[in-house]
Amino acid sequence: MAIGARYSVRSVAAGHHLRGDRCPFLRPAPRFTRTPILLAAAAAIATLLACSESRRAVTELHVDDFDAVIDAGTVTAPARIASLNPATTELLFALGAGPRLVARTTWDVWPDAARAVPDVGPGLRPNVEAVLARHPDLVVLYASAENRVAAEQLRAAGIKVIALRTDKIADFVRASRELGRATGEDAAAAIVVDTMQRTLARVRAATLHLDHPTVFWHVWDSPIYTIGSGSFLDELLTIGGGTNIYADRTEPSPQVSLEDIIRRNPSVILAGATGQKSLMESPLWQSVRAVREGRVFVVDTNLIGRPSVRAGEAAASIARLLHPGIAL
Amino acid sequence: MSAALRASLLWSGVALVVLIVAIAAIAYGAVPLDARAVVHAIAGRGDPVTVAIVRTLRLPRAVLALLVGAGLGMAGAALQGALRNALAEPYLLGVSGGAAVGAVAAVALGATGAFVLPLASFAGATLAIAVALLVARASGGRADPRVLLMAGVIVGAFANAAIMVLLSNAPPNAIRNALWWMMGSVGDAGWLTVGWLAVYVALGGALLLWFARDIDILALGEESAAALGVDAARSSRSIFLIAALLSAATVAAAGLVGFVGLVVPHLVRSLGVRRHRPLIAGAALVGAGLVVAADLVARLARPPAELPLGAVTALLGVPFFLLQLRRLS
Amino acid sequence: MIDFDRVVIRYPKASAAAIDTVTLAAPRGAVTAVVGPNGSGKSTLVRALLRLLPLSSGRIAIDGADLAQLERRTVAQRIAVVAQRESLVFPLPVWEYVALGRHPHEGPWAAAPSRTDATVASALDRAEIGALAHRSTDELSGGEWQRVRIARALAQGGEALVLDEPTTFLDIAHEMAMFELLARLAHEGMAVLLVSHQLNLVARFADTMILLHRGHVAAAGTPADVMRASVLESVYEWPLVVTRDPAIGAPALLPLRNRGPRSPFQAP
Repeated sequence: MAIGARYSVRSVAAGHHLRGDRCPFLRPAPRFTRTPILLAAAAAIATLLACSESRRAVTELHVDDFDAVIDAGTVTAPARIASLNPATTELLFALGAGPRLVARTTWDVWPDAARAVPDVGPGLRPNVEAVLARHPDLVVLYASAENRVAAEQLRAAGIKVIALRTDKIADFVRASRELGRATGEDAAAAIVVDTMQRTLARVRAATLHLDHPTVFWHVWDSPIYTIGSGSFLDELLTIGGGTNIYADRTEPSPQVSLEDIIRRNPSVILAGATGQKSLMESPLWQSVRAVREGRVFVVDTNLIGRPSVRAGEAAASIARLLHPGIAL
Repeated sequence: MSAALRASLLWSGVALVVLIVAIAAIAYGAVPLDARAVVHAIAGRGDPVTVAIVRTLRLPRAVLALLVGAGLGMAGAALQGALRNALAEPYLLGVSGGAAVGAVAAVALGATGAFVLPLASFAGATLAIAVALLVARASGGRADPRVLLMAGVIVGAFANAAIMVLLSNAPPNAIRNALWWMMGSVGDAGWLTVGWLAVYVALGGALLLWFARDIDILALGEESAAALGVDAARSSRSIFLIAALLSAATVAAAGLVGFVGLVVPHLVRSLGVRRHRPLIAGAALVGAGLVVAADLVARLARPPAELPLGAVTALLGVPFFLLQLRRLS
Repeated sequence: MIDFDRVVIRYPKASAAAIDTVTLAAPRGAVTAVVGPNGSGKSTLVRALLRLLPLSSGRIAIDGADLAQLERRTVAQRIAVVAQRESLVFPLPVWEYVALGRHPHEGPWAAAPSRTDATVASALDRAEIGALAHRSTDELSGGEWQRVRIARALAQGGEALVLDEPTTFLDIAHEMAMFELLARLAHEGMAVLLVSHQLNLVARFADTMILLHRGHVAAAGTPADVMRASVLESVYEWPLVVTRDPAIGAPALLPLRNRGPRSPFQAP
């Protein structure tokens, strides 16, 4: 089923969850009898009406992460797409809409084919002029507060804008579905989401009955930043079979003190390559048991940096770090 | 040639330069546009993308830059005269610190919405001005420039501390957002912002021009001003308040754009203007041109990324202070 | 023209009054001088006249009208005050600085007086600095600057001139020239009220002297009345003699070497 699928209250109320392929009434019919034929006929007619109603309802209220309505009722799919977020650029390529991309940000370099797309500057506070000059008919923005002005300016210029958060797995699933719908690649989106979710499920199942080591995730040194509960990396960690020692902190990137880390005594530390080097060489960090005993493992920051089509692989890589020899 | 004729020619020249800069600001940007297309676009004709770029992006931005520069220039000119200090600038009396605290607090608390930042920064600025004036009054120097300057420094120091505390606990995107605001930008301009700032600048400017003759006299010192019939305490306070609120309005619209209010009055004085009515008027013109030019540089330096406006204007400080140093020695 | 009537001025949180029941008059056509040791309250009188200090009691009258009831601009049109010190942060040409003296007569939107304005020219003439009209205020010597300030005061067009220590930092020649100018202005009909510590010069040029001591009037009258060794010694607390040289025609004070152990810088 839909692990982590996210539906806004409005879309549920509009019958979003009753998609055409899950109409509750289209199941193998009961054994024929005469009176039920008429009932079945009546039910069939009602079903068709209900399903077409729900399909209309499906196109009614879609909102993006800036709470702006996305009218999915366009006749033609967009032919020129500007994607101002590495995660959505990667996603659009995975959906097969790569050839339709006409603009990307400076940081969108995965997959390699993305480098051929013209670079229009930053994704945070984008250069609206440069984006407009690419004549897009759809712009995908990262839904952060500083991009609201750009969203307004683009809408005022008559361009369709979708602002999406891409911070967590659920965000990614929603983004996939919305972009799939917006580009007419619903089928591809369904496959992408499904594949990712199945990999995640497999990883989760594999680690479910293993001991979950306590993990400290090192993000930055001075000051010391780690990840809190609910952030994407924390989600990966949990699926990969670890326990975040800072799960009690709800901010995505809380700042913590070395003393507290020592007190919480993680058995494993995960860090990037440079991070691991600095930790092992730092005399201060030797007071942490995991560092002393050499259990600081390197994660591939390219792979796990953000929710993407490879989130399943990312979770698997963490599972292998925490549970060497696991069969995945 | 008579002095009046020479002055008229000079100022016509300055006005012409400002006009050219403003036109350049509309004609040039991250995206090269054909000159004729730009002219058509202003009238609303032609390729919709060009029209969008010119009318909803470049035009309001240029007008906002003109207004911000005019407001800061006038406030700086008035304050330098009334405070008898060549290094006075519009962000005294805690304006910049208070505005920054207001904006950073709004960002750190995650407040969103079209006018949250301008309102929060304006509220912060007015609060800081009020505190500075109260601190000055409590130490007995209601109109003594030195006491006021010190009160402004105190409020500014407190504001800096508050900003650091707010930012230390904020999520990274809030920090980024706050930092961008503090570096100044006219890029978030809509016609609504331009509208209310225009009202503010017109009103503030008119009031400062009204007080211009008094500033000429205040520049002589408290006793001499009293000797010439000016109520130094009351005049100074009114001027400080008007100038500070004018600066606060520009900060609300465009963040912190430093050095403009400091440098522009000196530029105008170097053109031979001494009395404050022509000085304030000239500072409005020169300030407007300077900020539009700075914004043009900010947009063209390394397209398609933009430099923050405050960074470009801060560079003005270097040659300015070098010149001051040469004058001292 | 200017009358101080039993004026008492007390600084906040001070035990003694800075000015204690001082009555003096500065009529037109005469030089009236207020003298006294440091801290006797001379400058306080000028600050009170400028309304920078409130009166605790008594009143100051301008041609009979209470100063407190008059508008500042009206007072400035009739009395010009030259304060002790003044320095301009932004220099001006001398004629423009003098033209600032016309401010009390102009509204906020009036055009600034031009270089050729008659009142400005006449003020420059009376102060005898016509030649300096186009110099910049930051290029003047001490004596020139003082005269320029007086020219500005004259441009105010009033009938009274009040000066607080006008001869500080001036050499002998400039001091004498300054006093001769003041005497001439008084002769032309102005009321000149002068605060100075230069007893000898004052004695030569003033018509009336008022000697202040710790806020009280210790002596008042013609220079001959006030310049008496007994009075001066008790006020200045220093041994001195008063002579009268016929070439000068006015009493002159000469301080003597200190014979006693006590110096005026020690507390009594």
